[in-house]
Amino acid sequence: MNKRLFHLRTALLLLGAIFATVVGSQGEETLSRTTDHDYDAPAPGTYQLPVIKAAADAALLDAASKPINLRDLTRGRITVLSFIYTRCASAKACPMATGALMDLHELSADHLELAQNLRLVSMSFDPVHDTPERMRSYSALASGRPKAAPWQFVTARSETELQPVLAAYGQAVDKKANPADPTGPLNHTLRVYLIDREGRIRNIYSSGTLDVRLVLADVRTLLLEKAAR
Amino acid sequence: MTTILQQTYDLSSARPLRSQRRARAIAILIRLALLLALLFVVARAIWADETCSSPYLARIDGQEEFVYVWTLGVDGMGDGQDKLVTVDVKPGSPTYGKVIHQVSVAGRHEAHHGGFTDDRRQLWLAGLESSKLFIFDVYSDPAKPRLVKTIEDFIEKSGGAVGPHGVYALPGRVLIPALSNAKDKTGRTALVEYGNDGNYIATHWLPTKEEPRGATGAEFADGYGYDARVLPRKNVLLTTSFTGWKNYMTEFAKVASDPEAVKQTGNSMVLWNFHTRQPRKVFKVPGAALEIRWALGETHNYAFTATALGSKLWLAYEDAAGEWQAKEVFDIGNVKGGVLPVDISLSADDKTLFASCFGDGKVRVLDVSDPHKPRQLLEKEIGRQVNMVSQSWDGKRVYFTSSLLSKWDKAGKDNEQFLRAYAWDGKDLKPAFALDFTELKLGRPHHMLFGATAMGERKAVPAIVSR
Repeated sequence: MNKRLFHLRTALLLLGAIFATVVGSQGEETLSRTTDHDYDAPAPGTYQLPVIKAAADAALLDAASKPINLRDLTRGRITVLSFIYTRCASAKACPMATGALMDLHELSADHLELAQNLRLVSMSFDPVHDTPERMRSYSALASGRPKAAPWQFVTARSETELQPVLAAYGQAVDKKANPADPTGPLNHTLRVYLIDREGRIRNIYSSGTLDVRLVLADVRTLLLEKAAR
Repeated sequence: MTTILQQTYDLSSARPLRSQRRARAIAILIRLALLLALLFVVARAIWADETCSSPYLARIDGQEEFVYVWTLGVDGMGDGQDKLVTVDVKPGSPTYGKVIHQVSVAGRHEAHHGGFTDDRRQLWLAGLESSKLFIFDVYSDPAKPRLVKTIEDFIEKSGGAVGPHGVYALPGRVLIPALSNAKDKTGRTALVEYGNDGNYIATHWLPTKEEPRGATGAEFADGYGYDARVLPRKNVLLTTSFTGWKNYMTEFAKVASDPEAVKQTGNSMVLWNFHTRQPRKVFKVPGAALEIRWALGETHNYAFTATALGSKLWLAYEDAAGEWQAKEVFDIGNVKGGVLPVDISLSADDKTLFASCFGDGKVRVLDVSDPHKPRQLLEKEIGRQVNMVSQSWDGKRVYFTSSLLSKWDKAGKDNEQFLRAYAWDGKDLKPAFALDFTELKLGRPHHMLFGATAMGERKAVPAIVSR
């Protein structure tokens, strides 16, 4: 993509984010059933979230090009970690995942408990195109909510450094046979991870289960675990 | 311009769960982008897969190229071991309809069912007798699956579950319904979760009268298990019930003639809250309900199952009041004649259901357009015995295998062991190819799973993982 188009895309993204926020910024009460998620969310704390495995560490770059360890982004707070690539245009993949994180970010701006205990991380698996600069542009989605939970945008230095991370988290990514595919050049499973304060993966969501109401119930279930200790 | 609109769609589709006010405000942008997406889908909508696979599973892009057959070893036949047999079903291939690869696992384990992980990179195959799980890499070379790991401590890790049956893909993990338990080897059993890495996660015991775990209909709860399948859109999991190790590892004639053994067969179906893994409602379903097939239509809130020992087709459905119900909807055959419907396959358009019947070796093809009033379209003999049936997503190809269980298969000349492929034209099944697993010294073929070299976008199926 040439630079002009990139800037145009970024501008559209930002304008849209502002537009959507202005016309649609509402509270948690607006989260309701949809045709894809036609059920009521469970009450937090009424069910168990078994440990799936430890969240792996990795050496990454943040949106300011500063080195950062993934370990530092998956400990201390309850973390919702989403693997994405910014060129993805598949409606039920990365845009959906980023939308879910954006909803959580907005909600956290209005809920002190979430703001103080939640962390959001969007990590790219397309390091060649998703440079720190690009992730910085993408991070505009998190702007304008100073009271919200932290939302980090990170990427790997190279494909070589990325591969062990993908393997550790079980994130499948392949190049499509047609690199000009309108939905983006990469095949990937949609994965969003819920990680507790101790750095243990407690749930994995895909498009069939990535319902913000379920994620919220899970986050609050982990918060109740902490309170019960 | 296309790219700009596509990026606009990026943004608008990133807001799927907020208010209607916001949705209306960005609706025009979405519609423009959806129009483009629709044109794209129409241009490349040729894809296929097995209709009964997990909704969380990556889909095959195009036609299936391989049929993987989990095959029971037979003493004195070939190497006598259980094996994964790969059959080439790629049209035009010089080896079409032939076995192109096989991998034996050490020993016989009562090979039965298996399933892929959600990324379709691994195929997990289970042994009902030994409770071992064999994990194959089907990603590196789908034509030549490679055994990469064996789980040998399923019983210990699960806290006493025995007889891992199916392997059902969930995001990043698999759900394994077991058939029995280590304590008494009856059908009292559990659902067990493993991560895609092969790490144990959790065990969920089926509800019983004594421990209903909050489910209604506890009086019907026998704690038995068999199949487990999810309708993500409704956040429900459905499980069925068969029988325990003592029965499935005993000759069928002995089981059938022993009233106490017959009593130890499943008579229940359980609806669960999938997210919490908590049972919600137990239904009385006499006669060992086996395979579950959720309808695929976006508003079709129902599933079929068939009772092997009752020869009935059952419907689990959400009624107008939002309550889940279960009822018999069709008599598949005369149970005294030994029809034994052991597998069913529902077409992708939810209109046609194939029921393979072990007892008389026939398939019954039903029109289930009205799920409450099925009617039979065809009854056709496939062999002297028939067990599993799998159909392609486009409904044009149907595959059958012959073996039920090593101790329950027929004897003598009735013990045909085969994979037979047919073309379905909407009215009849026309033979495509057949493989004699006895002549090929392979064993007893059971579960079939489709493989391919290409995985693609999955646009036509609701509530699935996008790739």
